[in-house]
Amino acid sequence: MAKLPVSPEKIIEDFGPHLNFTPTEGYPGRDEPDATVKTHCCFCGMQCGIQLLVKNNKVVGFEPWMEFPFNEGRLCPKGVQRYLQDNHPDRLLDPLERVEGKGFKPVSWDTALDRVTAEIQRIQQAYGKDAFSILSGVSLTNEKSYLMGKFARVAVKTSNLDYNGRLCMVSAGAGNKKAFGLDRTSNNYTDLAHAEVIIVAGANVSETFPTLTYWIWRARDNGAKLIVVDPRVIPLARTADIHLPIKPGTDSALYGAMLKYLVDHDMLDHDFINNHTTGFDETIAAVKDYTLEWAEQVTGIEKEKIEQAAAMWGKASTSFLLHARGIEHHSKGVENVLGCINLVLATGRIGRPYCGYGTITGQGNGQGGREHGHKCDQLPGNRDITNPEHRKYIAGVWGIPESELPGKGLTAYELIEAIHRGEVKGLLSICFNPLVSLPNNNYVREALEKLEFYVAIDFFLNETARHADIILAGSLHEEEEGTVTTAEGRVVRIRAAVSPPANARTDTSIILDLAARLGAADKFTYKDSEAIFNELRIASKGGTANYYGITYKKIEDNMGVFWPCPSEDHPGTPRLWEDKKFATPDGKAHFNPVHYRDPGEVTDEEYPVVLTTGRVVSQYLSGTQTRRIGKLVGLIPEPLLEIHPELAMKYGIRQREMVKVSTRRGTGEFPANIVETIRKDTVFIPYHWPGRKSANQLTIGTLDPVSKIPEFKVCACKLEPLGVISRPGETTAFDSI
Amino acid sequence: MHASLNKKALLVATIVTLGCVVISFYGSRKLQNFDPALIAYLFGTLFALFGGIYRYCVWLQRPPTWMYFRRTWQFIFKGSFFVHIWLLLEDSVKNLLFQRFIYPRGKKRWFAHFMLASGCLAAFAITIPLTLGWINFTLDPGTALDPGAVKLYNANFFGFKVMSFKLGSVLAFLIFHALTWCSWAVIAGAVIFFVRRLTNAGLIASQTFEGDLLPLILLIIISVTGLGLNFSYAFMKGMAYDFMSVTHAISVILFLVWIPFGKFFHIIQRPAQIGAHIYKREGKKRGMAVCPHTGKEFTTQLHVNDLKIVTKQVGFDFTLEDGSSHLDYSPEGKRSLLAKAHLKARQEGGSFFG
Amino acid sequence: MEVTAYKTDMEFFVDMQRCIGCKACEMACAECETNGQESMIHVNYVERAVTIQTTVQVCMHCDDPVCAKVCPADAISKDDFGVVHSANTSRCIGCSNCVMACPFGVPIKEEKYDMMMKCNMCYDRTSAGKKPMCATVCPSQALFYGTREEISRMRPNSTPVNTFVFGEQVVTTKVNIMMPKGSTQLKVH
Ligand code: SF4
Ligand code: SF4
Ligand code: SF4
Repeated sequence: MAKLPVSPEKIIEDFGPHLNFTPTEGYPGRDEPDATVKTHCCFCGMQCGIQLLVKNNKVVGFEPWMEFPFNEGRLCPKGVQRYLQDNHPDRLLDPLERVEGKGFKPVSWDTALDRVTAEIQRIQQAYGKDAFSILSGVSLTNEKSYLMGKFARVAVKTSNLDYNGRLCMVSAGAGNKKAFGLDRTSNNYTDLAHAEVIIVAGANVSETFPTLTYWIWRARDNGAKLIVVDPRVIPLARTADIHLPIKPGTDSALYGAMLKYLVDHDMLDHDFINNHTTGFDETIAAVKDYTLEWAEQVTGIEKEKIEQAAAMWGKASTSFLLHARGIEHHSKGVENVLGCINLVLATGRIGRPYCGYGTITGQGNGQGGREHGHKCDQLPGNRDITNPEHRKYIAGVWGIPESELPGKGLTAYELIEAIHRGEVKGLLSICFNPLVSLPNNNYVREALEKLEFYVAIDFFLNETARHADIILAGSLHEEEEGTVTTAEGRVVRIRAAVSPPANARTDTSIILDLAARLGAADKFTYKDSEAIFNELRIASKGGTANYYGITYKKIEDNMGVFWPCPSEDHPGTPRLWEDKKFATPDGKAHFNPVHYRDPGEVTDEEYPVVLTTGRVVSQYLSGTQTRRIGKLVGLIPEPLLEIHPELAMKYGIRQREMVKVSTRRGTGEFPANIVETIRKDTVFIPYHWPGRKSANQLTIGTLDPVSKIPEFKVCACKLEPLGVISRPGETTAFDSI
Repeated sequence: MHASLNKKALLVATIVTLGCVVISFYGSRKLQNFDPALIAYLFGTLFALFGGIYRYCVWLQRPPTWMYFRRTWQFIFKGSFFVHIWLLLEDSVKNLLFQRFIYPRGKKRWFAHFMLASGCLAAFAITIPLTLGWINFTLDPGTALDPGAVKLYNANFFGFKVMSFKLGSVLAFLIFHALTWCSWAVIAGAVIFFVRRLTNAGLIASQTFEGDLLPLILLIIISVTGLGLNFSYAFMKGMAYDFMSVTHAISVILFLVWIPFGKFFHIIQRPAQIGAHIYKREGKKRGMAVCPHTGKEFTTQLHVNDLKIVTKQVGFDFTLEDGSSHLDYSPEGKRSLLAKAHLKARQEGGSFFG
Repeated sequence: MEVTAYKTDMEFFVDMQRCIGCKACEMACAECETNGQESMIHVNYVERAVTIQTTVQVCMHCDDPVCAKVCPADAISKDDFGVVHSANTSRCIGCSNCVMACPFGVPIKEEKYDMMMKCNMCYDRTSAGKKPMCATVCPSQALFYGTREEISRMRPNSTPVNTFVFGEQVVTTKVNIMMPKGSTQLKVH
């Protein structure tokens, strides 16, 4: 059904990605803008403050926003170029309908929405409510995230709603809930400034959260020691005090051994452990055999270095531990996270100034989006969809009987599997490009081709949406009012700088219209984004992610408010756990025993090399937005295979020679970049590109049993040089098919 | 040293100016063809000539300029002379006549500059010979006396008749109004530039009034008063003629006097660009320099060698201990070397931060 | 411009060891109104095959600028604030003398314009009392623009240095590089 209607070349010709550049003398009107709008960058969880310059309902440039406290004007290249997603030739201006053999033709909103409504009803009548599924994304504001959750459950009445945070922070979320009963970074980043030791584990901060570098460097100016755990010498690691070049997939062994070291040398905060935690004994029992020698063997890091790092961590009086996808994208993601948390709890360095811990949330609204309801197992306020109390409360807010509220649905990757099996027949996607971002994407493509009906909401025609029957032209970040929650847990205001061009509509109005057509008009009567937020406040009231005391005005007056914020006179909570009252049922922080186990796929004779994936500084996730911005593409035009000279020599691979990389799931060809800054047994490919240039043709769909995150960060591959040297610029990766 | 350089320039400028006076004296048939109304312009022109030559000579004597000047003529006279002359002509048409190098910076910008430059150059070509009495127009004596005949005009160059045309013909119209066309072109170009300079924030930040705005204003005044003279004469029975002719004269003379010193000197300087092209072309034939750090070619070896001489002449010595030079490195190489030295210093200092 | 809000107590401090190679500065530099969407700042890998080290280079605004001295067309000038300006477009003949002679590898020959361009410290911004674009956005603050007091408070163990040794030649500059405390110069060769 949902094969491409025409050749991908034709689709690319019509809908891009094309590269957008600012004219030589800037967009007209930049010098005399109609408005200077204080809002945020959309390209990562830092949500840096930025001012957009607007002329004649177009974004014509930017000006740093010096007053916003987190970044004080600082930006990364994505932030600088973000204004170019407006004014873009690829922008969808009308709803589109697929025409077999021709591509996509513009249709009226009524035609498009009637068709969508009819198809949802047809599929649900024929196969049951859950046969229609929804995949959402956390580049959406809190308001839209909340709306998607309610829309799925109240209007579409399906339990099968999940989101792309499933590929992002779920392992951290699950780990945090187990340990602290709440899912948020414990501190804001100013607490880095005087931390004595900072561990950055699996977080390529300098490329994925560049503006966070400032706070780490500031700490180092104040004398902080930096420990970086990463298979590559990332820019942060080059000057680090200790770099632990870990073998992908072995993180929990490292943290286990470090914990044992702390125990053996009694570098523990007994007072804290005794009074404020549970589970310590089981946890140290689990690591009793994890000697430094054993850890060296498993992780490939010299034991002296591990010892040094453990001692450094153990002796510190203040510290901050940060981690990100590098330890979370694993079939043991939750365990890795718990391993880190155990190190923090053992030393009791949390809930005090300059004593911090947290995951660095990746997506624009990765934090807020995961709290308010488009996660298959969750209800607003970070409530649990299987908890009868929680269900009752939310059903009350939504004005439906609790019995009508659907239960827990399938997670994102499981949903794709269910589509592949033919159990789920229809899909609505918004703000999600699974064909690029999910592992083993040949399999994902097969699944998409089996759908009976697929509707996508997006502002550009992303690679997945090329398979859609209907595409609804939605809105950009700068086209709707709203809020997002930054990686620090700070709720900030997103401003509508411009309105959607031509016949494009705001995402909210599309969803509201669809809800009405599905007969739920009375449940979706919002006059504006603020009205949605006000309902969200009530829905989150009493939940762990409590936004009740946050109002638009309060956010604007304070340049952000940290949740939890239970009442309007509450100032918000920049630092959690100062009272040592954790959000778990027993009020204590929980140690969790972590036993080491292997990743889902280990190397063998046939596939002898470890493959890991990650990002580059100039691209954001699946690249739907950033692969369309000329200068960002120019910075890093194509994915390169990073490989150590010794490994390269073994296969006779030369610099920039094309290498065929194969795994049990697929193959891809990439130019080699031979560098000493990577482990000798590991190769690295960034994942932002589609089609032949996609790293996710190779990755594996093994899921974490708890968080259901796929194991992007480790699988086994083999390498084959192709004898062709590719010159830079020869491949046109941005439009690869 | 400076004084002696200036003496040289003085000498050359004096000789050339005197030469010009002599040529004009005889060219105007001992002042017979000379138009006394243009006397002020004449002195302005002679001053501009003197000043221009003087400044040009001073300029040429700067070591880097002299190096290019010398090399250019060396290359032209060495080897395939005609090929060089051909390339030179081609380059001149492209870059001097059509200023093609401006085009990539902006179409409108190029258009404005082209109008401005063509207008000015054409106006020079007409007015200077007229002022110096090299060219004059006379009524053909044959037709002048015959009342029935169509009047013929003769154009004389250095007193020799070069062509004749009928009064009232299209050609006559074009010739007599040539300056009008020039004026319109200059106005169009200057106004575009002027507006740009008033609105573009980048330019506003870096321009100066006397360096960038005044020249445009001057050109606009010259053109407008020039047009006004014509208009007043033809349609307004000479109204405000005097005012305009005085303003015109003053602005033209200011313009002339300013050529050697202000913005307009670039008109005289511009041909050096062609010298730079020849230098590059010839240098390439002689071989490229390879950066010891990047291992890549970055400029011609000739350029590197000459720069070692020129930097010394202007007071810099980048010679290294081993006898090589900092100039042997490419720009990227130089930056990397600095970064490496800085890294080493930081490592030795024991800390990257704080 | 005659009227200017240039702040003379603000200075440029560079520390390339803090640079993470993100190229935000490069993107931002192109936004400077004087640059016509071209970037004048340089970020490059020092030796990618062996290290991830990157370096960043702005114009150092030399006290005695070699670039201006070797320019055959008198196109480069230094103003009263010590800012060395980009080539005067009407004069520059595109010969690249400045590009090859600058000891810091700063000027850029824009081949398509047959003209040199270089960093002028965001004159459109600094002359209006703002910070240059690159130093404003730089997330690592490898590029810092502010007062001497600010930098000495934030980085007490480093000393700003503006004297550079290239073999026989000593060059002093307006822009500073942050060095270990007590350093007086950076010897490149
Ligand atoms: S760090 Fe993130 S939020 Fe900040 S500018 Fe870069 S992409 Fe945007
Ligand atoms: S650093 Fe180079 S370009 Fe800048 S003033 Fe000095 S010599 Fe000129
Ligand atoms: S913005 Fe700063 S950190 Fe990024 S490349 Fe430029 S100097 Fe380096």
